[in-house]
Amino acid sequence: MRRWHDEALSRTVIALGLLLACGISATSFAQDYDFDIPEEEEKRIEFSGNLDAKWGLLRANMDSPIYGLQFSQTPAKDDYLSQYRLDFYLNGEYRHQQVGFTLKTFYQYVKEEPLPPSIFELHGSLNLSHRSTAGIGKRRFNWGKGYAFNPVGYVNAQKDPENPDLALAGKTSAYFNYNRSFGDKPLQNLSLSSIVLAPEAEVNNKFAAADDIAVAAKLYFLYRNIDIDFMTLQANNLPTRYGLDFAANLLSNLEIHGEFSYARREDQVIVENNSAVVKMRNGGSYLFGLRYLSALNTTLIAEYYHNNAGLTQNEFVGILDHLDGSLLTEDAAAIASARNSLPTFFQSRNLMRDYLYVKLSRPEPFSWLYTSVSVFTIYNLVDNSFLLSPQFGYKPFTNSEILLWPTLFFGGDDTEYGAKQFQHRVEVWLRFFF
Amino acid sequence: MSLNQKSLKMLGCFFLALTIITPGLSTAQDGNKLLKQVDENLLPPSFEAYRKIINEEPDGSKKEYIFYTVKKDRDKVAMLYLSPASEKGRATLRLGDNMWLFIPNVGKPIRITSMQSVVGGVFNNADIMRLDYSVEYDATILETSAAETILDLQAKTKTVAYDKLKMWVDNKRTTVTRVECFAASGTLIKTLEFKQIKDFGKGVVRPAVIETTSPLYQGFRSIMIYSRVTLRKFPDEVFTLDYLSRLGELR
Repeated sequence: MRRWHDEALSRTVIALGLLLACGISATSFAQDYDFDIPEEEEKRIEFSGNLDAKWGLLRANMDSPIYGLQFSQTPAKDDYLSQYRLDFYLNGEYRHQQVGFTLKTFYQYVKEEPLPPSIFELHGSLNLSHRSTAGIGKRRFNWGKGYAFNPVGYVNAQKDPENPDLALAGKTSAYFNYNRSFGDKPLQNLSLSSIVLAPEAEVNNKFAAADDIAVAAKLYFLYRNIDIDFMTLQANNLPTRYGLDFAANLLSNLEIHGEFSYARREDQVIVENNSAVVKMRNGGSYLFGLRYLSALNTTLIAEYYHNNAGLTQNEFVGILDHLDGSLLTEDAAAIASARNSLPTFFQSRNLMRDYLYVKLSRPEPFSWLYTSVSVFTIYNLVDNSFLLSPQFGYKPFTNSEILLWPTLFFGGDDTEYGAKQFQHRVEVWLRFFF
Repeated sequence: MSLNQKSLKMLGCFFLALTIITPGLSTAQDGNKLLKQVDENLLPPSFEAYRKIINEEPDGSKKEYIFYTVKKDRDKVAMLYLSPASEKGRATLRLGDNMWLFIPNVGKPIRITSMQSVVGGVFNNADIMRLDYSVEYDATILETSAAETILDLQAKTKTVAYDKLKMWVDNKRTTVTRVECFAASGTLIKTLEFKQIKDFGKGVVRPAVIETTSPLYQGFRSIMIYSRVTLRKFPDEVFTLDYLSRLGELR
């Protein structure tokens, strides 16, 4: 009897053990494959952003007149300079049913002083239907298919080809978008964007001439797997522009794109008879590019850009000679005047006529986890100067990133990249996202 | 040879040819029919779902992403990144062979290629934004037994991510259990294992977990987990470039 009891007890223990084991395994399986879905909160502003802590080491280009003017008031000039800054992006977004509100701000801390925010975007929007939206405020638009350059980016903020993914300030405007799909027909999708751009308030810093309001429009088609845009900008105080762009996937690992823009009355400041003059140009700018993914998981982006409003080599050398001449006078007023003219001469990030952009990037090379490497060059085909910039990235933790980013400039003294105020630059970025 | 004998011989040749060709045709027809059933059982024609992707590295560490996905018809997929914060707000759209990526900072959709991987790991864009198999592949039956059928899938065009697939189908549920993906050279690129059949409600019963390994990424493993697969109809305009920045409004 006692033996029967012992056997019954042991069987019960085994059965309980098995049940428990099944329960544990079921629980652990549930833990493995269950996840919490971030809930969409109603009627709440959602904040996001990132902090980029940047430290840079820069080697001065003492022979450059641009460096000479920028640092003419510095008593002792060092070969190497360092810079530490904090770039902070704070974004807020609110949406309730058809109404939306967007705020994107940027703060840059360099030294202890009041830190005014730059308002990158501040706009309200109404989703009138699935097909139409309207909005008003300061908003960033980004037209064109090019990665580094956008000749048809009539309403874009000026893109930095050295960092095309950077957040930039928008434009004060009112816009309306209409979007229509046509199912599986050759013309799959059509959309119309119309934008009214407010001129900058220059009269008493509050008002602007009513005649200077600009109008821009873009018509987009997805036709037989090809993206096609036609666009225009019409304004009294800006060049009249007409353009088109396209993009298509030729293979599962190859994409091509292009842009063409015609502009009337495009201005460029040059030097004639030792004084700055504005030269008007009519003509076309264009871009052709591709994005290719190799079997080794390396992405190639290549773009050729012709900038009709860009400087010729002689015009660029003329500007450098003019700046150099101002420095040689050693006259404080002449130097100050030349320094103040720098933004006028170098207002565009694509100063000259023809550029080639090539970027190679590869995630996790040599199976180095969480790393990425890339290298890009911007080659000025007019004066054969160029910059070369490798980049090494590492994401040790979710929502964090470390970047090591050297940039080297090559070219003669009278070339675009050879005359930069710095010869080399090495930056380390620590990025935190929230 | 009389005319009748000649006619009889020709008729015999015709039937012989027919008996040789017909099984081939019916295998292809049966294969494509079965593939369509697999597609129908895998995903409803129009739905929304939440998915989590876990990329496991050889050292055991993990990276996780959560997406909101909407799909319509057989070739329209849009996806919004919900976490982590560094990726939040990104959105991808696929219309047939066309794919675009929207990055909030950049503010415009850019065309991407299906072989690229936006999230890293073993899954590429084509895996994450997969269309119905029958849209991209022609199927023939390789082997069949009482329990399962093995299909040979050949890409219909060169723009498809993998030239050839080998698919194992569970005959009882007509559900895919395993897929091997091959390059044109015949090299095995990756293997997908479909696991954990789950009832998501309203007749949606499908594998909730897809595990992926690749001989090209030794030691890496990617897992895709489906949650809240819900039938829902969307207007066509949701699957357009203009709508990519607004995808979150659908949640």
